[in-house]
Amino acid sequence: MDNTILKVKDLKVHFFTRHGVVKAVDGDSFDMRRGESLCLVGESGCGKTTVALSVLRLLDSPPGKIMGGEILYGGDDLLKCPDDRLRQIRGNKIAMIFQDPQSSLNPVFTVGDQIAEQLKLHLKLGHREAMEKSLRLMEQVGIPRAAERINDYPHQFSGGMRQRVMIAAALSCNPEILIADEPTTALDTTVKAQIMDIFRDLKREKNMSILFITHDMGTVAGFADRIVVMYGGRIVETGSALDIFDHPTHPYTRGLLNCLPSVSAIRDRLTPIPGAIPSLINPPKGCVFDPRCECRLPLCATVRPEEVVASGDHTVACHQCAPSVVGEGHKPS
Amino acid sequence: MLTKIGNKVGGLRNLLFLCALMLLALVLVLDIYAVDRILEPLGYFYIVFALLAIFYGIYPLYLSRRLTRYYWDRTKRHRLAVFGLVFIFFLVAVAIAGPFLTQDPTKVRFQEKNVPPVGFSITQSVYDVKTDTFSTVHIPGTWRHALGTDDKGRDMLAMLVSGARVSLQVGLLATLIAILIGTVLGVLSAYLGGWVDNALMRFTDVMMTFPFFLLLVFIIFIFGPSLTFVILAIGLTGWTGTARLVRSEALSLRTREFVMASRSLGASDSRIVFRHLIPNVLSSVIVITTLSIPGVILAESALSFIGLGDPTVTSWGVVLNAGQRTLDTAWWVAVEPGVMLFLTVLAFNFLGDGIRDAFDPRSQV
Amino acid sequence: MDRKLVEVKGLKKYYPVTAGLLSRHIADVKAVDGVSFHIAEGETLGLVGESGCGKSTLGRTMLRLEEPTSGSICYRGEDITGWDRKELKALRKEMQMIFQDPQSSLDPRMTIGDSIGEALLVHGMKNERERLELVAQLLKQVGLEPEHADRYPHEFSGGQKQRIGIARALAVNPKLIVADEPVSALDVSVQAQILNLMMDLQHSLGLAFLFIAHDLAVIGHVSNRIAVMYLGQIVEMADKAELLCHPLHPYTEALLSAVPVPDPHLERKRIVLQGEVPSPLKPPPGCRFHTRCPRGSKGCSEAEPELAELKPGHFVACHEPG
Repeated sequence: MDNTILKVKDLKVHFFTRHGVVKAVDGDSFDMRRGESLCLVGESGCGKTTVALSVLRLLDSPPGKIMGGEILYGGDDLLKCPDDRLRQIRGNKIAMIFQDPQSSLNPVFTVGDQIAEQLKLHLKLGHREAMEKSLRLMEQVGIPRAAERINDYPHQFSGGMRQRVMIAAALSCNPEILIADEPTTALDTTVKAQIMDIFRDLKREKNMSILFITHDMGTVAGFADRIVVMYGGRIVETGSALDIFDHPTHPYTRGLLNCLPSVSAIRDRLTPIPGAIPSLINPPKGCVFDPRCECRLPLCATVRPEEVVASGDHTVACHQCAPSVVGEGHKPS
Repeated sequence: MLTKIGNKVGGLRNLLFLCALMLLALVLVLDIYAVDRILEPLGYFYIVFALLAIFYGIYPLYLSRRLTRYYWDRTKRHRLAVFGLVFIFFLVAVAIAGPFLTQDPTKVRFQEKNVPPVGFSITQSVYDVKTDTFSTVHIPGTWRHALGTDDKGRDMLAMLVSGARVSLQVGLLATLIAILIGTVLGVLSAYLGGWVDNALMRFTDVMMTFPFFLLLVFIIFIFGPSLTFVILAIGLTGWTGTARLVRSEALSLRTREFVMASRSLGASDSRIVFRHLIPNVLSSVIVITTLSIPGVILAESALSFIGLGDPTVTSWGVVLNAGQRTLDTAWWVAVEPGVMLFLTVLAFNFLGDGIRDAFDPRSQV
Repeated sequence: MDRKLVEVKGLKKYYPVTAGLLSRHIADVKAVDGVSFHIAEGETLGLVGESGCGKSTLGRTMLRLEEPTSGSICYRGEDITGWDRKELKALRKEMQMIFQDPQSSLDPRMTIGDSIGEALLVHGMKNERERLELVAQLLKQVGLEPEHADRYPHEFSGGQKQRIGIARALAVNPKLIVADEPVSALDVSVQAQILNLMMDLQHSLGLAFLFIAHDLAVIGHVSNRIAVMYLGQIVEMADKAELLCHPLHPYTEALLSAVPVPDPHLERKRIVLQGEVPSPLKPPPGCRFHTRCPRGSKGCSEAEPELAELKPGHFVACHEPG
């Protein structure tokens, strides 16, 4: 049985800037399964948001341009299907939530109107029905006194409440896939916990497929089924949450987990990843992580590593794990 | 000792500049009360302009050569901006050297009237006094008047060159006056805040609504038409937009963390204004300067066109005005100054756009 | 050992809200509302709280970059609250600040050498050669090359800019540094480099830090003691281990339970607070936390709890601690 709902194959996205071509996403492939929460993890500039925007072809072009690859969703290639077909999918089948709830709501419409807009557009509901459904959605995402607040404007809501409104709007057409791009980054710790609870409930109760994009390994830990780690425009490691947290194999993933400060630790030095994130205009020739890697091989500087299977579902793009190298006993512990 | 006084006014450079200004003021006083006409009235403007350019333009650019190179590289990427700059340099060269090379733009020769530019020819009916008849003659363009002549036989090339000088004079000087007033008031308003800010900004509002033409007509009525007064009138009324922009810029800079950092290091107010606020405001001031020069040039042409300009100088507006009367017989008289105006305005606009893009922090990678 | 470097007592900072043509004073934003704490020599006090709780204002007011509304600040036993310009300038050599946004905390039109050297110049080191030497030394100290001195901020990455900010703060050889969210704008892999640098410098120079952050994981890592702020007040303050293991204030408990921990196996008691932080314009009467408190009893909305020392060194402001 194939329960893949979204398949990204060899996606390439470049940004054409005055300084040169930024290879923001450079040949990435991953699958998303029905009902799972897939987390795309990486630091700023690693291309995770670009991947998310490419799925719905929402990239600003220029400067962004999709150079190749396929994104398969239910028989359509989202990168090539006609615009009107894509509009039927956007918001209806695949919905998206953005990082900044401040700027993703239109300040001149009431929140009720903004939630109802999708319902009128895709489900062809009348105004009254749409507003009733909006109210139910607002209650569902935990907005207190929803009936009173439905006619309020976005500036009357706090950051956390606005993000709830965004989620309600995204859920309005009961989409199959929810893409959430750093939805909790702009929020305070205690509010973040509330929003994460909503996502957990969505997954558990509605069995929704969620593509969750974040830079925070901590947020991912209690939520992800599978994790895709990105660095410098490339996927470096993919695996189940347990694979990634218990057996991180790519040196970058290990570095990322090791460098986090933790509440319970005694006060000692952290183990940072040396150096800085490379420019993607002139990325390192072989492996993008090579200049910062602590267990590099001579090969790494020149040859781009292929994805290899570490175990079952767990794949890594690192020469250390390639069969030829592993055979020589270099496998990192 | 010298450095100590210098520190009081924000550095040795400011001290030197103030000294130079005082010297100039002394000359001006002498000019008025003792010796007659040491300098033309406009000459004073030029000297102030040159001093400003040297102390606050060329010297800092030279000091931070690497930053200059960086911004120049960024401006250079804007192909049109470079064209604009080249054209402006060409215009400046023409304005400075041209009048010595061309004929007298005011010399009237009726026997050579309406000669077309080189490469063109027209047929004209000429009235012959002796025979009392009209005869049709064929007039070809000659190299003696490469760009033709107008209906009074004045050389077009000479008039255009003279016009370039007038336009640049007005454009640079009036803009400079406006920008200086605007920048000083804007920074003061933002930094002092409170009721000073309120008073200055309300004054700006009043100035914005002040009818510029009325003022001009008034000035000309009292003092008679003269280029100096046209420059003063445009300069003294055109600073309001700059003041507002500089104020808002300085206000946002004041809350930036590097200003806070400087304060937390113990820096004085004058240091913050001179070393942090003004240099950072300067980039947008340069942009407004280049973008407002064309407006001023157009304003001067418009004034000359409607006859409010200085009748003793040949500006593009004057030529344009002459040309519109003979548009059916001698089209080039109107078209040539028009093209020059068009190109000049375009060149300044392109340069301004290029500089703005270069300074725009959003395109900084 | 435990000598008090700075002691703050009952510090308040209100921002007046005005309205109308005559700027009539209609209310106050109580950004900091009666805060007392001390920082000992060479220690790191972590100040944690959510956005708008007044933690940044507290840091700036303590440095006298903002004028306190009332209360006192003592540095080495001397009350600096009423100090004038000249005395403050001397104080600047003792207390310094590191800012959150490495992008905006450096003047884009100055070379970083000039930015770092500015402090030296302001404090009377006029000799340019000496200054350049010191700048080079400072750059080395924060892990950059001396040749970087004539570069401009745009030529550096975020982590490097933050190093430059640290070098600038160190230039005057301070005893105390207020670090206002110094790593929250950085990527996690770079964040650890900066945290390490700060801890190394503290060790070698004997610096004291007031470390302000919203991220309890970062605070929990670098601090010796932690103070938790909520709506302009400190609700709990204790040694790190004590606070993390035996939190007494319900807000601290909730914060701790909301910290994301990168461990999928961890099953913990999660306390998800209801609602959001009220406006500091109209803080709730009584205990400010009572509107969101899972424990709250009736008395909480009436009397304001005092910050009391329940165990040695462990201060809590709660009617029902535990």
